[in-house]
Amino acid sequence: MRRGDATELPRDDQVGDEERPKKKQKTAPQVKPANIIKLAVSPNQQHAVAVTDDKHVRVFSLFDGNLVELSQRCMPKRPCAIQVLPENTTIICGDKFGDVYSLPLLPETATEVDTEPGAAKDTAPEADTGKPAFKPSATNLTVHTQRNRKALEAQMQQKAFSAKKEALQFEHKLLLGHVSMLTDVAYATRKVDGRERGYILTADRDEHIRISRGPPQSHVIEGYCLGHKEFVSKLCLVPGMNLLISGGGENELYVWEWPSCTLKRTIPLYDAMLSMQVPGSKESYRAYSKDGVQIPSGSGKNLAISGLWTVPCQVAGDKKETVLMVAVERMPGLYIMPTNWLPLTSGEELGLTLLDLEYPPLDVACTADSVIVSLDAREEGQARVRAYQLRHAEGQKQVWRVECTRDEEFEKKLQCANTRSVADTGVGAKALDDLLYGVANLRKRRGWGDSGKAGDDELEGGAGMEDAPED
Amino acid sequence: MAGPPKKRQKRDDIKQEGQMPQKKFYRQRAHANPFSDHDLKYPASPAAMDWSQHYPAFAATVPAGVPNDDPIATPDHDKQNHLQPISKQVQVADIGCGFGGLLFALAPKMPETLILGLEIRTSVTEFVQEKAKALRVQHASTGLYQNVSCIRANTMKFLPNFFVKGQLSKIFLCFPDPHFKARKHKARIVSTTLNSEYAFVMKPGGKVYTITDVEDLHVWMAEHFAAHPSFERVGEEELEGDECVGTMRTETEEGKKVERNSGTKYVVVFRRLEDPPWP
Ligand SMILES: C[S@@+](CC[C@H](N)C(=O)[O-])C[C@H]1O[C@@H](n2cnc3c(N)ncnc32)[C@H](O)[C@@H]1O
Repeated sequence: MRRGDATELPRDDQVGDEERPKKKQKTAPQVKPANIIKLAVSPNQQHAVAVTDDKHVRVFSLFDGNLVELSQRCMPKRPCAIQVLPENTTIICGDKFGDVYSLPLLPETATEVDTEPGAAKDTAPEADTGKPAFKPSATNLTVHTQRNRKALEAQMQQKAFSAKKEALQFEHKLLLGHVSMLTDVAYATRKVDGRERGYILTADRDEHIRISRGPPQSHVIEGYCLGHKEFVSKLCLVPGMNLLISGGGENELYVWEWPSCTLKRTIPLYDAMLSMQVPGSKESYRAYSKDGVQIPSGSGKNLAISGLWTVPCQVAGDKKETVLMVAVERMPGLYIMPTNWLPLTSGEELGLTLLDLEYPPLDVACTADSVIVSLDAREEGQARVRAYQLRHAEGQKQVWRVECTRDEEFEKKLQCANTRSVADTGVGAKALDDLLYGVANLRKRRGWGDSGKAGDDELEGGAGMEDAPED
Repeated sequence: MAGPPKKRQKRDDIKQEGQMPQKKFYRQRAHANPFSDHDLKYPASPAAMDWSQHYPAFAATVPAGVPNDDPIATPDHDKQNHLQPISKQVQVADIGCGFGGLLFALAPKMPETLILGLEIRTSVTEFVQEKAKALRVQHASTGLYQNVSCIRANTMKFLPNFFVKGQLSKIFLCFPDPHFKARKHKARIVSTTLNSEYAFVMKPGGKVYTITDVEDLHVWMAEHFAAHPSFERVGEEELEGDECVGTMRTETEEGKKVERNSGTKYVVVFRRLEDPPWP
C-alpha cells in the first residue's frame, strides 16, 4: 500500500494471512474474532493502524513483511475514520458520535497514563487539564422552575445518576466534534506564504463538510462546504490541487475548492451507473431497468457513494497522473476519471470510464503502478482480489478514457487471499451484508414528523410532560 | 406537523389580525431530543435562506435582473433559486428562545438590529412567530418589532446552515435544559466542541450571554467557555453596564419563574477573541 491510503478490509477472510491481526494469546479465548472495519498505513509505511468492530484501535509495526501488534486502545465510541498524520507520529480518529480525537501512534506505556479517576476528559479541545469531577449540586433548593424540578426528580429516580465518566486510560486529545454521526475525516495541507498549514476535514450525516485547522488549533473552524442535500459519506482530496471530492446519498459527486469553501461543479453519476453490467449477464442495468429491474444500490433511484480513491495512472512513457475511482454501494463496478479534468467548470461534460467487475468492490488500494481492488465474492473459488494497471491514452478521440488491464503478475502475489477458504467464517449472508453495506442506511427517513418514534427515545423529565402552566 | 389538530383548530378560530396568540394553545412536551432527525426544515447553506420572509420590512429592493450568482446557493440544477435579499444580516441570536420573552424585550431596545430566536419545538416557535406578527400590527405606527423573528431549528446540529462565519455579535443561552445526568451531558447546549461552532458564527468582540438557576449547569458553562481558547470571560464591572444582562435576568420566561420562587440566577458572559495567527 502506497501512502496512507485508508483501506477498508471489512472481512477477516479477505485479508491475507500476513495482514491478520495476531490473536492476543494472553486474553481469554475470544468467542467472535473482531472484524477489521478500517485500515490505514503511516505515510512512511512503517506502521499499519486497524480499527476493529470492537472499537479498538490497533497499531502494528510493518517490518520485513511481518505485522506485529504493538498496541490496542479501546475508544469510547466506534471509530469511523482513521488516519496517520504526515509527521508519522499522530493518529487522528473520528467516531460515530461525531468526535475527532488525536492519539500518539505509539503510546508511552500502554496503560500507565495518569488520569484522575472520574475526571471529565471532555475539556477544551486539546486542553489536557483534568476537570473537577461532576458534582450534582442541583438540589431542590437550586431548582426553581417546575420544569427543571420535574426533570431532576425523574432523573434522581434512575439510579444511573452518576458522576463517573469513563476516562480513557491512554493519552488522547479531543480535537473537535459534530453533533451528528461522523462519516469521514481527511487531513489536508496547503502552503501559504511558504509555510505549510494543516487542516482537518470532517463530513457528517447531516450534509455538512467542516474545515477546521489542524492540531494544535483544531478548535478554529475555518469554514463549511455546504450544499449537499443528503448525507455525506466520503471525502477524497485530490493530490496537487486544492480540490475536494465529496459523495454521499445523492446521484452526483460534488467538487469543491476547499480552501475557499466554494463548489466548483457536480459530477452526475446516475446515467453512467446504468451502463454498468449486471453480473452474470452481458446486459447493462439500463437494459434491465426498462423491464423494471431495480438497481441494487440503496433505495429506488438514489445512489449511495461507498468509496472514493485517487490512484496513479500511466500516461505516455514514464509519465504518471492521478485518476479518481468511485464506488457506488452494491454496484459491481468502479467509475474512473482523470483528475486533471476536475477543474473544468460546470457545463463541460466529463467523461467517465466504467470498470465492470464481477462483484461489488469493497476497497481499493494502490502501489506505485498497480491498483488492487477487493471484491465481495463469497463463494469458494471466486476471486476476491483483483489487480489492474491503468493507462490514460491521450490523443484519442475519447480523451477521457482510461484503459484498465488486469495485472496478472501482481495477482499472483495476492493469490493467498484468493485461495483462502471462506468456509470457516460461519457468518450468514445477512450479517455480512450488514457489515459491508452500511452506507445506504445513513439516509434519513423524511416526512416522519417529530411526534414519531425517532424523537421520543431520549426524553427527559417524563414523557408527555408539558410546560408547567405556571404563568 | 405542528401540535395536535385540536389545538391548531382552536388557535385558528381565535386568531385575528393583530391579536396576541395565547400560550395555552401552544404548549408542547418540554424536551426534544437534539440528536434525532426530527422533520426539520433548514437551508442547505446560509445563502439559501430566505430572510425576507422573516423581516419583510428589511427586504432590500434591488434592481431587477441582478443575478444571484452565489455558487453554493445555486449549484447547477437549481438556478431558479431566486431569493429576495435583505438589507441587514441577523446579528443577535437567542438559542432555545422558548416563548420569546427576551426577544420581545430586546427588539424595541435595538430596533435597527435583526434579532432571531431559534427554538427546536414546533408549537413554541409558532407562538413566537404569531406574537411577532401581532406586535408588528399593533405597533404599525412606530414600526417596532419588525426586527424580531423566530425559526424552528436544532441549533446543536444546524447553526452553520443559518449563519456565516463571524456574523453574530450576540448569542443568548438563557436557562438551557440542564440535562443533569452525566450520561446526558452530551445533550447540553454548551460543550467544548459546540463552543467551536458558536465561535465560528460570532464576530471577534461579540458576546455569549448565559444565565441559569442550576448552579451545576452554571459551573459547567463557565468552565467550558473558559477552557475554550476562542473565549474570554467578561468581568463583573463590564456586566453591570451591559443592559442586555439586566434584560436577560428579568424578561426571560424562566427568569420570571425563578424570580417568583426567589431563586438564584447565575450569569456569565464570554467574549469572542480573535483567532490566533497560524503557527
Ligand atoms: C428551559 S427553556 C428556556 C426558554 C427561554 N430561553 C427562557 O429563558 O425562558 C429551553 C428551551 O431550549 C429549547 N431547546 C433545547 N434544545 C434545543 C436545540 N438543540 N435547538 C434549539 N432549541 C433547543 C427547548 O425546546 C426549550 O424551549
